[in-house]
Amino acid sequence: MLLSDILKLEDFMNRKWINKFFLLICWFVTVVSALTLIFLLTVIVFNGAQAINLDFLLTRSRDFGAEGGIFYQIIGSILLITGASLISFPIALGTAIFKSEYLKNNFLQRLSSILVYGLNGIPSIIFGIFGLIFFVHFLETGISWLVGAVILAIMIIPTIVLAAYQSINSIPKIYRDSALALGLNRWQVILKVVLPQGISGAITGLLIGAARAIGETAPIMFIATAFSGVEMPGSLFEPVTALPTHILALAQHATDSQALKNAWGTSLVLIILVFVFSVSALFTRIKLRSVSQR
Amino acid sequence: MSAYTSKIGKGYVLSSTLISTAMILLILAVLFVNSYGAIIEVGWKLFTLKWNPPDARFGILSMLYGSLVVTFLSLSIAVPVGVFTAVFTAEILPSKYRIYVKSSLELLAGIPSIIYGLIGVAFFSVWIGELFSLQSGRTIFTAAVLLSIMILPTIITLCDDAIHNVPRKYREAARGLGLYKYEVILSSILPIAKTDITGTVLLALGRSLGETMAVMLVIGSIDKMPQPFYNFLVPGQTVTSKLGREIAESAFGSLHFSVMMFMGIVLVIIVLSLTFVAQRYFKTGRLYE
Repeated sequence: MLLSDILKLEDFMNRKWINKFFLLICWFVTVVSALTLIFLLTVIVFNGAQAINLDFLLTRSRDFGAEGGIFYQIIGSILLITGASLISFPIALGTAIFKSEYLKNNFLQRLSSILVYGLNGIPSIIFGIFGLIFFVHFLETGISWLVGAVILAIMIIPTIVLAAYQSINSIPKIYRDSALALGLNRWQVILKVVLPQGISGAITGLLIGAARAIGETAPIMFIATAFSGVEMPGSLFEPVTALPTHILALAQHATDSQALKNAWGTSLVLIILVFVFSVSALFTRIKLRSVSQR
Repeated sequence: MSAYTSKIGKGYVLSSTLISTAMILLILAVLFVNSYGAIIEVGWKLFTLKWNPPDARFGILSMLYGSLVVTFLSLSIAVPVGVFTAVFTAEILPSKYRIYVKSSLELLAGIPSIIYGLIGVAFFSVWIGELFSLQSGRTIFTAAVLLSIMILPTIITLCDDAIHNVPRKYREAARGLGLYKYEVILSSILPIAKTDITGTVLLALGRSLGETMAVMLVIGSIDKMPQPFYNFLVPGQTVTSKLGREIAESAFGSLHFSVMMFMGIVLVIIVLSLTFVAQRYFKTGRLYE
């Protein structure tokens, strides 16, 4: 109906051969895309493994990152992601609860969905620019890791809201009805019935969001990080160095082989962190499914 | 006591909802306020070809063209490859391997874009430079190839879902008519999965348009239309790479900055409309991760 009609392959090939031909194309294309993706991982792991040793992980970077390690970059990334999680989690969980338990008006329900999920569609560089204008210039915070954490938090709110909302919505109505029949008021129902399920959904969302946020460069490069010479931030309003911006700085000196080597090492560390978050998200999701099916 | 906590609780969930819903409006408002100067002072001349801030020439068309071309090229590589691979994983691959393929695809989709940029700088731009014997391998084509690889895992896994979600009965009915596998897939399964696949393509389109880091490192950053316009083996510029490179250089509050904001808002409007159209295509309200 679709492709075969246009090509009229039947005119010069019998169906059995077209079938073989089609399957062959599928196999071939799959092998090509699998090899490409395997190439990616191999390059990162192979080049990264050569650069990483205990010294690399535990010393500070020198000479604009071309020498030394990435200790403070790791600390900076962890600080950013911890801050972002602490800020986004309560807001997103609250939003999910309000949307499922209080918001009954159909129009408002749809409007809030559009607004929250629309946030997810905004390109990451725009978040960086927004942070630069609104926080750094308008609120005069200066370049600081707190602003970076706030911006990353805004970015991952939609992911957490959706995950929490879906798991809250999967609670059967009879659970709520039974709790109400026992004489609990609405908020007690939320605390005892809705919240436990909502929190585990929100944690899954948070892990997915964190996996994405920790690798983001564009949102934080103008507002939260300095490229070198920065160590532990002494207060909330000081810049940090982070893994993705460190890779950016090193990639721009790609002709220097030592800098490139350090960039691969940093990439491998970053990818391991991303995978730790996404694999834990996979596990919590599997666990969550078994809970709601019980 | 209980009524009191109830009120605090309701206040908390209400205010967090207000924060999360107001955020997008705040971002749009900030962008709009800051691009107002450009709209007033430069006006229709924004849509011209010449970009030269010291000369007060602020034409953004070559950046918009760059964004559209890079996106179009990357999708025309990634979509066919992605759909065929998804047909393989959903229809040909034995289903016991499916979970492994799906999990590895989701992990691959999570690789940060800056790492794609590094791979592009270290390998693809060198290869493409040598392959076409160019002075510099940082071209529009390089960026498109890199982006197509970057969105490939997402396209495969979403198309695989789309094909996998086609109810069994259609396959059985088509097989029952004595159709070969390719006929089942082309005339029965793909037409049913078509809406979800279209949604996937639109989402990939939005992601390609909004991608910054990978593109910025390999595109070469020259603010010119390619000459002739279909020559993709020359350096170019996209809206995002322009923003990424120049925001830090342009003084806050200047006309230059304001024009950059205007580019940002054009980008946001295009990407958001794509996202919303895409969401209508998916039957389940799947969030693009």
